[in-house]
Amino acid sequence: MGDNKLLALDNIDLSINKGDFVSIMGSSGSGKSTLMNIIGCLDVPSSGEYHFRDNNVSNLNSNKLAELRNKDIGFVFQNFNLLPRLNAQENVVLPLLYSGKNLKERNQLAIEALESVGLKDRVHHRPNQLSGGQQQRVSIARAIAGSPKLILADEPTGALDSKTGLEIMKILNDLNSKGITIVLVTHEDDIAKYGSRIIKMKDGKILEDKKNVNN
Amino acid sequence: MSITDLIYLSQKSLRSNILRSILTSLGIIIGVSSVITMISIGSGARIEVEQQIERFGSNNLIVRSQSSSNRGVSMGANSVNTLTLKDMEALKEELPAIKAIAPRVSLSTQIVANGNNWLATVTGTTNDYFDLGNWKFENGRSFEEEELNSGSRVAIIGKTVQKNLFDTDSPIDEVIRINKVPFTVIGLLDAKGGTAWADLDDTVIVPLKTAKQRLVAKKFPGDQIRSMTINVRSSDLLFKTEKDVDTVMRKLHKISANGNPDFVIRNYAQFLNARQESSRVMSILLATVAGISLIVGGIGIMNIMLVTVTERTKEIGVCMSVGAKKRDILLQFLIESLMISLIGGLIGIALGLGVIFGVSEYFKWKMSLDYMSIVLSFVFSSSIGIIFGFYPARKAANLNPIDALRYE
Repeated sequence: MGDNKLLALDNIDLSINKGDFVSIMGSSGSGKSTLMNIIGCLDVPSSGEYHFRDNNVSNLNSNKLAELRNKDIGFVFQNFNLLPRLNAQENVVLPLLYSGKNLKERNQLAIEALESVGLKDRVHHRPNQLSGGQQQRVSIARAIAGSPKLILADEPTGALDSKTGLEIMKILNDLNSKGITIVLVTHEDDIAKYGSRIIKMKDGKILEDKKNVNN
Repeated sequence: MSITDLIYLSQKSLRSNILRSILTSLGIIIGVSSVITMISIGSGARIEVEQQIERFGSNNLIVRSQSSSNRGVSMGANSVNTLTLKDMEALKEELPAIKAIAPRVSLSTQIVANGNNWLATVTGTTNDYFDLGNWKFENGRSFEEEELNSGSRVAIIGKTVQKNLFDTDSPIDEVIRINKVPFTVIGLLDAKGGTAWADLDDTVIVPLKTAKQRLVAKKFPGDQIRSMTINVRSSDLLFKTEKDVDTVMRKLHKISANGNPDFVIRNYAQFLNARQESSRVMSILLATVAGISLIVGGIGIMNIMLVTVTERTKEIGVCMSVGAKKRDILLQFLIESLMISLIGGLIGIALGLGVIFGVSEYFKWKMSLDYMSIVLSFVFSSSIGIIFGFYPARKAANLNPIDALRYE
């Protein structure tokens, strides 16, 4: 407000490599959500550049951004963000619908994805018939159904008890070991330590960026 | 994203709010059913008028005797027949716009043939009657000059009479007895069908002279006749001729311009015009109702779609995060409002058909279901859906994914 421009992100210089598992930490207002939105191609920076794979994302229009999100990026949200009217399978099919895969192929992929998160027998359940942990697994299945290169997890355990949270982290860990890059946003040290690299942010700046030796 | 996927997603969300979807389409339902009813009233009236012209002939005036003192009340056979063949000749002479006049005497009487009895209207007239009344012959022929002049006992019968008296389809040369007088059948008329008030085919036609001599000598003494049908050369002259006939007749009957005439002139075109006019007024009324309710219905759809977009903001954000383009979101909401309006259209068509059926059964109005009106209703309702659904859909498509995801 006023004459002072508030910079959500200030002078960030960050590169994340293929196959990394990066945890971004910071209190609210630290800019981690904004960073996450830019990494996830939901937003473009007002100045500066962001390159994702071979694309200079800063120059892309909304259609191109949507295409990138659809093909290369999977989102896992704190509140799962499943569509309440659709059952587990239909929720997982959603991104495949937008990528124009045919009916047979996308049902196949959705069931495979649900199987890989251990929900083979919950395919036709609606979100309100599933527990929090199951819902989060559906949303992971949705994120991986289109075989993305990058998964962005925004406080994926925030709405879950610690035991279920650990199960979710295990799934993310497995996905990382299969070569999928993972960027995790959290404010819990226990969760952040799953990352091989931990970035701490404050006031829109990177405070600390170090390898997690314990991992 | 294919159209079937879009329809699938849309019906999912419509079904989760089925009552709301139907209530929303109420305006469309009323609008579309009005459109259908309006069109079929209009085309029904048009067809009816065409049929009437087909039946009674066009450009005809009918002049009928009327008791000058007691309108419409029969004062006995002698008092009521004020028209004469002299009137007819005079009219022909004075008014060049008249192409032909068919005189008519009539009585309702028992016809016997083949051991069967049948009550029918017997008309005595000339050959002009067939041309003017658009009568066609199914079988046989009209009168010959000699038969007309000599008062031969020959008759031409209508379809209803033939069916009730004879087993055969060709009653030519058979003998029928009218008031115990034997007549030879020389012709059978094509069926015209009934009107609301009379069966036109329930008729026997004999030469005027024969009728006057043998059947209605007492009822129509001298050269009295019951009525005459005047055929005018062109429809433009119809109303002017009607006035002229009135003037000439008043002069002949020595009745002042504002005196009570002893005849009545019926202009069939006038009746048809009135019929057409009343259905036109009805159509305008319905068109207004249709127009207003379609617009109100459209606004209803827009309203509910705006609510839906707001309710589903977060969902839209999720769809965008998994890769929905603006176009996908736009189409998704557009299809949804299109489906609401099409459902409304379908229900409206069903309702309209019900109304058409009910009205034509109950009021005996001629209604004609025009298939174009169903096509038109679909076009109407889908355009309403698209036009009024566009703004909400665009609003949804233009949401910023981050704001939408954060919306609670």
